[in-house]
Amino acid sequence: MQAGGAGSVEFVIRVCYSFSCAEDMDKRIWAVGGGKGGTGKSFVAASLGLHLASLDRDIVLVDLDLGAPNLHTLLGVKSSHPDLGDFLTGRIPSLEEAAAETPYSGLRIVKGTENILFVANMNHFRKLRLLRQIRQLRTQNVILDLGTGSAYNTLDFFLSANPGLVVITPEPTAIENAYLFLKSCIMRVLKLYMDHYKIPDLHRDMLEQIERNSQSLYGFFRSLIEKDRSYGTLLYRAFRNFRPCLIMNRCRDERDALLGRSVADVARRYLLIDVKYLGAVPNDDGVQASLRGLRPFVLERRDSAAARTMRQMAEELAYSIEFTLRTPSEIRIPNT
Amino acid sequence: MIKRIEDWNCYELLNVERTASQDEIWEAYQAALATYQPGSLAVYSLVTEEERTLILERIQEAFQVLRDPKTRKDYDLSLLKHKPYYAPKAAFRKSVGKMEIEEAPAKRSLWARFKRIFSRRRAVVDLAPPDDQ
Repeated sequence: MQAGGAGSVEFVIRVCYSFSCAEDMDKRIWAVGGGKGGTGKSFVAASLGLHLASLDRDIVLVDLDLGAPNLHTLLGVKSSHPDLGDFLTGRIPSLEEAAAETPYSGLRIVKGTENILFVANMNHFRKLRLLRQIRQLRTQNVILDLGTGSAYNTLDFFLSANPGLVVITPEPTAIENAYLFLKSCIMRVLKLYMDHYKIPDLHRDMLEQIERNSQSLYGFFRSLIEKDRSYGTLLYRAFRNFRPCLIMNRCRDERDALLGRSVADVARRYLLIDVKYLGAVPNDDGVQASLRGLRPFVLERRDSAAARTMRQMAEELAYSIEFTLRTPSEIRIPNT
Repeated sequence: MIKRIEDWNCYELLNVERTASQDEIWEAYQAALATYQPGSLAVYSLVTEEERTLILERIQEAFQVLRDPKTRKDYDLSLLKHKPYYAPKAAFRKSVGKMEIEEAPAKRSLWARFKRIFSRRRAVVDLAPPDDQ
């Protein structure tokens, strides 16, 4: 099998798939994403962070919603501490210095920046530097709060986590964008590998077909494996290592909760992605009230159904054997 | 390896194990109906109307086969002829050593192992429980 030199693509692949298992076995990185805005990604990230911190975990929340950061507002943190923008523009040498203490024990936050324009369009090398620095943060648990859309930057941050959490609401727009987001993740993984291994253009044509019709995924892998078993197996393994979790937010009734399960099932069947359904968070008008008071909802209304559900999810992510050992099998890029 | 929807068996269509009880099959059928019913949000933008109709028909056929214990038994036998079924193991079985011991078969004694090598009645020795039980 032919492989290129130590290019940037190789580095991205290494970062994405060796992220949590190769360098630091104990480091856990979660990313909260999903295609649509307003589904409650930042709420989920903040709630998970607070609950995990209450379980005596050392947590760093990183606001990677580069276009519209507001995680600090959900936590009620107002400080003039250096933020992500200061790191990206080189005012501070490491991301560790941007991790500000919060009033909550064990929880630190890297605030997003609103002062510097065009941070959302950060270039490839800045992104790699940021990924490296996230890995080097002096903590065992990192939660990345991602922005909307399926830009390469967002996808790469999502793929670097294990597991990534996709947050949806029971609305067709949110579900449509979540499928699009998952499809974009698949395409990103396959394209990275195909570019690196210089797999013939024929397969690139097939990828274009998948973009148009997800049903051709099966045919794509089948023909690839028949044509070249080593490439086919490699791509299939890379693809199967992508195992996100799904959270249905703002559920109003039992049907909405079941809809989350159905979405995970459909993604498993039609996109061939091993999606784990984490559960449904009930809708609660108190979230808005807490936000207006700049107080975290899960602390202000600990006994609400939504707060209890978030706590259960945090405990499952923290303690479940499935998630503790759910590190992807590492895919090494051969040097020769 | 991955399979096309056309190649899924009844259990895969309903997303249940082959050891599932009748109640579990009923629940899975209800969940599948909710997922693939007309106007379902779960298939919105991803599954075409033809695909949705096709899978719904197949799910109903699968349920008709599995709901009756007699037809289910015949179907299971036909599946076994095609490919033997092995119950799924825990994904990380090696990592949970203590839990595994509880479900593991009785450990053979040294004498039983010795006999297994030299005795012709291998099967009898294999199945014999240890002396202390």
